[in-house]
Amino acid sequence: MENILSILVFFPAIAGLLGFVVDKESARAYGITVAAIEFLLSVWLWFSFDTANAGMQFVELIPIIPDFGISYYLGVDGISLFIILMATLMTLIGMMSMSITENIKNMIITLLFLEMTMVGVFVSLDAIIFYLFWELSLVPMLYIIGAWGGPLRVYAAVKFFLYTFTGSLIMLVGMLFVAYVYHNLTGVWSFAITDWYALVLPVNYQLWLFAAFFVGFAIKVPMFPFHTWLPYAHGQAPTIGSVILAAVLLKMGTYGFVRFSLPMFPDASVMAIMPIAALSIVMIIYTAMVAYAQKDMKQVIAYSSVSHMGIIMLGIFAMNAEGISGSVFQMLSHGIVSGALFMLVGVIYDRRHTKLMSEFGGLASVMPKYAVIFGIMLMASVGLPLTIGFVGEFLVLLGFYHVSPVLTALAGTSIIIGAIYMLTLFKKSFFGPVTNEANKTLKDLSSKETWSLVPLVLIVVWLGVYPKPVLAPIDNSVKAMLAFMDAKAITQEAKDMIKVSKTTLNRGEVK
Amino acid sequence: METLVYIALFAPFASSLFAALFGMSPKQTFVGIVASLLLFASFCASAMLAFHVWTTGAGIHVTMMDWISAGDLHIPFGFVVDQVSVTMMTVVTLVSTVVHVYSIGYMDHDKSFNRFFSYLSAFVFSMMILVMSDNFAGLFIGWEGVGVCSWLLIGFWYHKEDVSREENPSISPSWAANEAFIMNRIADLGMLIGLFILYWNVGSLQYDVVFAALPDLSGSVLNAAAIALFIGAMGKSAQFPLHTWLTDAMEGPTPVSALIHAATMVTAGVFLVIRANPLFSMTPEVSYFIAALGTFVAFFAASMALVNRDLKRIIAFSTLSQLGYMFAAAGLGAYWIALFHLAAHAFFKALLFLGAGNVMHAMHDELDIFKMGGLKKAMKWTYIYMGVASLALAGIPPFAGFFSKDAIIETAFNEGTLFLWVILVVTAGMTAFYSFRQVFLTFEGDERYKAFGIHPHEMYKYVLIAMSPLAILAVIAGFAQGTFEHFVTKLLPDYHMSEHTHHLSMMLGLIVLAFAVGGIVLAYRKYYKGLKRDKKLENSFTYKLLANQYYIPNLYEAIITKPYAMLSEMMWKDVDMKIVDATVDGIAKFLYKSGDASRKMQTGNLSNYLNWMAVGSVFLLVIAVISAMFV
Repeated sequence: MENILSILVFFPAIAGLLGFVVDKESARAYGITVAAIEFLLSVWLWFSFDTANAGMQFVELIPIIPDFGISYYLGVDGISLFIILMATLMTLIGMMSMSITENIKNMIITLLFLEMTMVGVFVSLDAIIFYLFWELSLVPMLYIIGAWGGPLRVYAAVKFFLYTFTGSLIMLVGMLFVAYVYHNLTGVWSFAITDWYALVLPVNYQLWLFAAFFVGFAIKVPMFPFHTWLPYAHGQAPTIGSVILAAVLLKMGTYGFVRFSLPMFPDASVMAIMPIAALSIVMIIYTAMVAYAQKDMKQVIAYSSVSHMGIIMLGIFAMNAEGISGSVFQMLSHGIVSGALFMLVGVIYDRRHTKLMSEFGGLASVMPKYAVIFGIMLMASVGLPLTIGFVGEFLVLLGFYHVSPVLTALAGTSIIIGAIYMLTLFKKSFFGPVTNEANKTLKDLSSKETWSLVPLVLIVVWLGVYPKPVLAPIDNSVKAMLAFMDAKAITQEAKDMIKVSKTTLNRGEVK
Repeated sequence: METLVYIALFAPFASSLFAALFGMSPKQTFVGIVASLLLFASFCASAMLAFHVWTTGAGIHVTMMDWISAGDLHIPFGFVVDQVSVTMMTVVTLVSTVVHVYSIGYMDHDKSFNRFFSYLSAFVFSMMILVMSDNFAGLFIGWEGVGVCSWLLIGFWYHKEDVSREENPSISPSWAANEAFIMNRIADLGMLIGLFILYWNVGSLQYDVVFAALPDLSGSVLNAAAIALFIGAMGKSAQFPLHTWLTDAMEGPTPVSALIHAATMVTAGVFLVIRANPLFSMTPEVSYFIAALGTFVAFFAASMALVNRDLKRIIAFSTLSQLGYMFAAAGLGAYWIALFHLAAHAFFKALLFLGAGNVMHAMHDELDIFKMGGLKKAMKWTYIYMGVASLALAGIPPFAGFFSKDAIIETAFNEGTLFLWVILVVTAGMTAFYSFRQVFLTFEGDERYKAFGIHPHEMYKYVLIAMSPLAILAVIAGFAQGTFEHFVTKLLPDYHMSEHTHHLSMMLGLIVLAFAVGGIVLAYRKYYKGLKRDKKLENSFTYKLLANQYYIPNLYEAIITKPYAMLSEMMWKDVDMKIVDATVDGIAKFLYKSGDASRKMQTGNLSNYLNWMAVGSVFLLVIAVISAMFV
């Protein structure tokens, strides 16, 4: 299958279109089947992926508007491969665990379209195509929050849409300017990211462009102080919306930094290390504290998401393979763990129609299985070794230590304050006597819920104990990218900062 | 031999998984039996490995598989069995096996019997990883693993309600569990930083590589690494100021206190210092600080034990105090003596805790020694066990504690740190006093429990038999001192007393002994006949200060817990909602309002439009003039 990437992108969309004619009763089964096939396709992609090759694979290139150098250009490397896998997995799991019955058919179709845009973002190698998928992904999410959300759903959905949309418009301006510069220098138009990589830009250009891309990505991540859309979106979104939002959509922002900012503007990126590190550390500590103050379980997880994204941001700007590989790994880990945590909150919400911690207490004795799975995910979230959460966090902190020991110590407080809010949440909801009458008769996990959560538990343990199958390809691509950045950087500061690993494979071949 | 290594390591894991299978079903006695047998298998494998290392003098090194590889960092799952780790393995598995068997009896009425064994075995597995790993990252796996198991086990009776600090100083099991986990996390950050320092300066986290590279590192790097690692050790071994969690951890079931919070996990910090001795011996200032802090904690903890009324808390304070002794030895460079005291302490302290468990069982979970007394009639064997353990703890010859503690105190003299020596000697006297205060108040004198309608009974026979290995070791372990020294100093630096100290050793020993016997005699005179409460003393400032742990828990609550909660609340409501989010909404509202306002221009009235056009033209004209003037 040479067109595996196109199939991956458009299969869910076409299946989604066909979904309109599917009977309402069987819509759910249909959706799960499609998502499962999509997931298997992405697994197939992984198995046929050449892990020794650090460059782009399965490349497809069809010119669309040759005069402007816009083409349908797809490809994956170690960095994007696993994010795609995670996106398809979380869509499948999210759909399996979904408890929505109202307008289920619309929901399934929306999710399948969303899946197309998500996979599309991570396989695009043409900036225009990337931008299209990037913006398109807003629409299904807008609909999911706006149609199935809580009481404030319209406010939350519009806020989410407008905020991120504004950011991406600025990013679009940046993209157009890069293409313009490219045209000035080479005489031809091109929007291919790999062509852009070859562009050596003067430092002041790099800085402005870095800033333009930064706005688009930072709002998506969301970085402090652009994060306030997130608690609303999570607070109002149905469980499935939160799962996808936290697991995949946020990763678009951090992925953007790795795919665009770092290799295109190495000098500007190095100059941005300190400002970004400062924002990230504020984000880590401040949102962790805010998370501790929350009364609503889901808000705790939402703010904790922001805090963990801070760790990812920090790793990206470590400028060494330990940090960046750790950061990409942490994207996967955060996707799985926060997705699972949102699903777990959904479980209790379905039963009690409240997420306030004060309503609970003693759930561990009423719902032991639920408590066990929640406990495992909690431990993964606080980064316990031998769970998926440790590997990324450890590598990020280790990597960033090379940049600044003091800032690493500050960022490292996340292992303390992360434990504080998560353990407090667990204590308030699961420990103590069962005081609320309504909780005494709660049913433990149903088989549907168990079957959606157990695979995630297995992944959490598997990748915690043996991360190599995933970490090695990521690491290869990251090392190659760093070698490329080092070769491309103009300023001495950047060359000094970017640390090329001794064990880099196919040096300099990022294309 | 490799098979033995894996059996020793994975038998507890298998035990944990097996018990977990039945974790949600009602009590099954065979779960406890199978778990104990697997633990015994692990002990046998450890003992055989110890014999192997003893006879051949060489360690065994196995690498199982890769764990994390990124950039230039490569961390394998590698395990090393050498003199130090095999000592730890044998001690850990021996005490664990006894505690497992003991728990079959102790937990027999608990509805979560199976779950308990699952956690307990998981703890042993983590502890084995901790001591067997051949690199710092592997150590950290075990380090965090024991932390989680400790969290699970302290909070084992999670259903209990929070109560005020006056009613129960630990508030509730789940509160104590969280406190322990979070305090340890604070220290773990230090440990992680230590790992990072070593990695970026050496390029590896393997012990052998790191230790070989130490001579090439600068003094400041060595000091930084040593300090960071020691901060890690302070958390696990509950050194001041991270000590409050240990006494609160007594909320867990008593076998847990015996295994985790006396014999094994809390000694992990000492183990780390011993394991990283090449590093610590190159940083004399840091080592001296360790010794001084250890000495301080030894005294500090003993002082709180003097007045406490809670059976388990007294023992917990004594654990804290003995950990201080171990750090004093390790900090002064007598690593093998620290390890020797660690092992001896594990035996008699576990025995003491298990004895306390018997008392609790008999007293229906009553822990106040003021409400006990005269239990010797009903519980002869427990009395003997606890008496033996207390004699060992007090350092009375020929019991184990005499040899190990005496060696530490002698080291303090030998190093010329007379100040430390004096404190350690005084502490030895205090140790003897509070140990026997507790023994006499529990077992001798008037039967105060009768007023509460309790009918005590001795523990099951098989439990008492299971405790016997610890009792025997508490008596005889001291005689193995010479052999032990010969064995571990193949790996650890040997430590010899100077000629001068050697001459005085008899006298030094007698001084310590005099203090210990003095402590016991004092306890005998005050408490043997029964409890006579001295209201005036109990209301004195010093007494209250000690009884309230120097008000440190209250202080932490006032200066850390509460401000943190308030600050978080403020961050959320005032900063996040009122500033950050309000700004965003403000921009949106401004755009909306300005659009709304300018909409009014679209009146459809032609003369209005002409007016606006005129305004616009004037405006443009002004701009044109200004720009012409300046450009």
